[in-house]
Amino acid sequence: MKNGMDLAEYCIKVGQNLGCSYVEARYVKDLARGLAFRNGEPVSGGFSPSEGIGVRVLVDGNMGFTSFDRLEKDLAKESITTAYKMAKNAKRKTPIDLGEPVANKAKWKMKAKESLIDVDVDTMMEFTTELNKQMVGLASFVVMFNPRVIDKYLVTNEGAEIEGQHSYILMNTILTAQAPGGSEQKYLDLTLAGGWERIKEANLLENVKDEVERLKKSAETAVKVEDLMRQPIDMIVGQEVAGIIAHENVGHPSEGDRIMGREGAQAGESFWRDLKMGVSRVGSNAVNVSENPTIDKTSGYYLYDDEGVKSRKRELIKNGIINEPLLNREFGVRFGKESNGAARASAYNREPIIRMANTYFEPGDFTFEELVEDVKLGVFMRSFQEWNIDDRRYQSKYTGSEAYLIKNGEVTDTMVKRPIMETTSVGLLSAVDAVSKNLTFDFPGTCGKSDPAQGVPVYAGGGEIRFRGIKLGGVG
Amino acid sequence: MVDVDNLKILVDKAIEYGMEKCDAIIARIISNKDSQIRFSQNNIDISKRWNSLQLQLFVVVKGQKTGSTDRPVSTVEDIKKAVDDVVRYTAILPDSMFFAGIEDTTGPYPELKGQFDNKIDEFSEKAPSVINSVINQAIQEGAKRVAGALMLRSEHFFFRSSQGPEGSGKRTAYDLNVRALQNELDYSGQGIACGTIPSQAEEVMLAAGAKAGRLSKQAIGAVQGTPGTYDLILTPTVAADVIGQIPDMANPFYIMMGLSPLKDHLGEQIAPEFVSANEDPLFEGGLDSTAFDWEGTPSKTIEIINHGVLKNLVHNTTTAKMFDSESTGSSRLASLGMGMKMLLPGSSNIIFENGDHTFEELTDVTRPTIYVTCNWYSRFQNYQSGDFSTIPRDAMFLVNKGEMKPIKNMRISDNTMRMLANIDALGNDRTQVFWWEVRTPTVIPTMRIRDCRMTAATQ
Repeated sequence: MKNGMDLAEYCIKVGQNLGCSYVEARYVKDLARGLAFRNGEPVSGGFSPSEGIGVRVLVDGNMGFTSFDRLEKDLAKESITTAYKMAKNAKRKTPIDLGEPVANKAKWKMKAKESLIDVDVDTMMEFTTELNKQMVGLASFVVMFNPRVIDKYLVTNEGAEIEGQHSYILMNTILTAQAPGGSEQKYLDLTLAGGWERIKEANLLENVKDEVERLKKSAETAVKVEDLMRQPIDMIVGQEVAGIIAHENVGHPSEGDRIMGREGAQAGESFWRDLKMGVSRVGSNAVNVSENPTIDKTSGYYLYDDEGVKSRKRELIKNGIINEPLLNREFGVRFGKESNGAARASAYNREPIIRMANTYFEPGDFTFEELVEDVKLGVFMRSFQEWNIDDRRYQSKYTGSEAYLIKNGEVTDTMVKRPIMETTSVGLLSAVDAVSKNLTFDFPGTCGKSDPAQGVPVYAGGGEIRFRGIKLGGVG
Repeated sequence: MVDVDNLKILVDKAIEYGMEKCDAIIARIISNKDSQIRFSQNNIDISKRWNSLQLQLFVVVKGQKTGSTDRPVSTVEDIKKAVDDVVRYTAILPDSMFFAGIEDTTGPYPELKGQFDNKIDEFSEKAPSVINSVINQAIQEGAKRVAGALMLRSEHFFFRSSQGPEGSGKRTAYDLNVRALQNELDYSGQGIACGTIPSQAEEVMLAAGAKAGRLSKQAIGAVQGTPGTYDLILTPTVAADVIGQIPDMANPFYIMMGLSPLKDHLGEQIAPEFVSANEDPLFEGGLDSTAFDWEGTPSKTIEIINHGVLKNLVHNTTTAKMFDSESTGSSRLASLGMGMKMLLPGSSNIIFENGDHTFEELTDVTRPTIYVTCNWYSRFQNYQSGDFSTIPRDAMFLVNKGEMKPIKNMRISDNTMRMLANIDALGNDRTQVFWWEVRTPTVIPTMRIRDCRMTAATQ
């Protein structure tokens, strides 16, 4: 990393000489390898190392960003000078303020007993062959496998110097189960964070095998249950669905930049804008949702964010009341607070913006059996496929992939075909009456935001959640 | 620093060096200078500039093993290292089931028009003042708050295949997305503009700002829509996402992966007779126009839907052999997850035929009809069947005999193939669409579609 680190430090000098009040340079070295399979057969492989530097400058309260991928001084100088000129021409009416200087110096790494860099192709092939075997029997299956290690060095003119390393085993599958009545599909993200040892620790192969069997069963046996459409029912969701709800209905609207309108034309604004922190109720007392980048072995793990701020847990909703937004330095000032370490950049050529890390419903006191035992008529939605939410994060829809009928306190063997929860965020969170104590992060995903798009690995989860009186949607 | 003129030298070195190491190699070097201005709350938030020089390689090793890389380079030594790395990695992979050869004949290539703006650097410098004018236009039309992004792209590339083909190209592009909002979260409107000659586009950019402002004002007072079955009038922006993606899926790779609704539909009537759509890499002013594909096969216009009948799939050399067909000149180096690319057939620009209805004619309706001006977050329950939903955002109106009443908070929950078949009328306003939600440039008119299912939150 030495040349890149030296050049990042040179960038700081260039920015200062131009008269920038703030200069930040982030050198990123990224090694991604890949294998792709269709129905168990190799389709292609890839090997794509990359490195580059992204620089942000603040000029008279205007922000500029530039990136370049060749580690050359002339190119660095030209790029920063262009960014400086563009920023100066922006002529903001309200200057950007990053608040108090941040001068942390630290080194951190995702823990990895068996470094992904050291895993050879034979080992990768051996594992992916086994992974593909778990899917045999499906009508079609696609596997994309990408071990990736990212080294970062952040330096600023305020004195921050942070070295960090991410290590991901990115795995995505598209599964299709065919039955006489039609097919069911499932996009399954299996991403793990850490070293090669995570595959065994996570019991990945067995979990995939189970998942495949359940998808086949869903395609073959799931039925529409008319009773469920005639009246409000109770809905229990598994950790994967809890995770997507935590992410979409709580995490996104809590992002400070959305609340203040910066994502207005892209990912949108937030219904939290018109609410008051610490006062406004958006859910029942049973709803406690947190965000925490300090959890080991997760995709959202980091100890310092991409502005050099030390990371910490954020309690987004406490007892149903909105409590704290996600903030970077700029929006920390705008909220009259300070950054809570939510700035992430997906690559050297992207600006750091406010992002989630690991978002989850805090566990409650119930066992899963206790959640089920007094449900007279309901659905256990263990996983989902189709989903979406409006850009204020208020109107959401989750369509079940694997779902079971609950009757008289028992989860039956009857699989329910594509039950839909189509609600507002407040309508949904207000219907929560209990959360189980079984906290897991069953929803690894890539969170999208910004323009150009920035996909960052995140985890989400919770305990199982019970919603009372849900009127199933999808009706029109 | 590497001069654009030196691209050929670097590519030649990659081919010469690579031919000693593998059976076949294609090299492409792309030099980009892109910039973007992002704005919100009537202020420019950030101005960005990207400089990149990327080498892309596709290699065939030991007959049937294929690999790719995509990495920054600047010297001959970088080139050699890139070749060595990708060949070493590919050599230990198993044979690919998705490779049956690459193009081995050379040109000639068609000439493209209107793809490069010599004044893009000058325009980049004045872009902040243009954006401030766009914001003012939206405000003058009734917006209170304006957000958006203007992207400017400039690309030079050189390519060569060890099998003979070689070529070069340059292109510029812009895309502007303006969103105008009232103080309330519920009332907003969008304007977009895209094309290849930004220095001649100031007027259309201002018009996009004005349109966004106007729509946001018209959306004031929107009331909750009622779930039910409606005819929908989709602007080109929405039609490009919902309907335009169907010809984009006329791709054997997507079919094999279970991601296309067009399996086994070749030769079938899938749309009304007045609907035709091409994959057209030669379209003048198309954002992704190209004279030749990634293997060096000359580009040509491909009929995908002709008078409602699915006529062709796009092919590269490999899929053409697999499907007992001919390459359509549609080979692209497509991303497959992080760090991995492969040669696959793919679209450039999707071009629908224009319709003949004026907007007034489209909105002169007696059936329950909703006019949707923008949408986002389309997701599929099943890619093969086309079961999906998407969320209208920005201004949406209940239409009755040309009168429009703003409504909000609804979702299109339907099936894309059924919607394609139910197109009822086409507008005469064909427009190129490219924005956050539509990543394949799509030239498409307003569409009216019968009997679509609209749903809404139950609580």
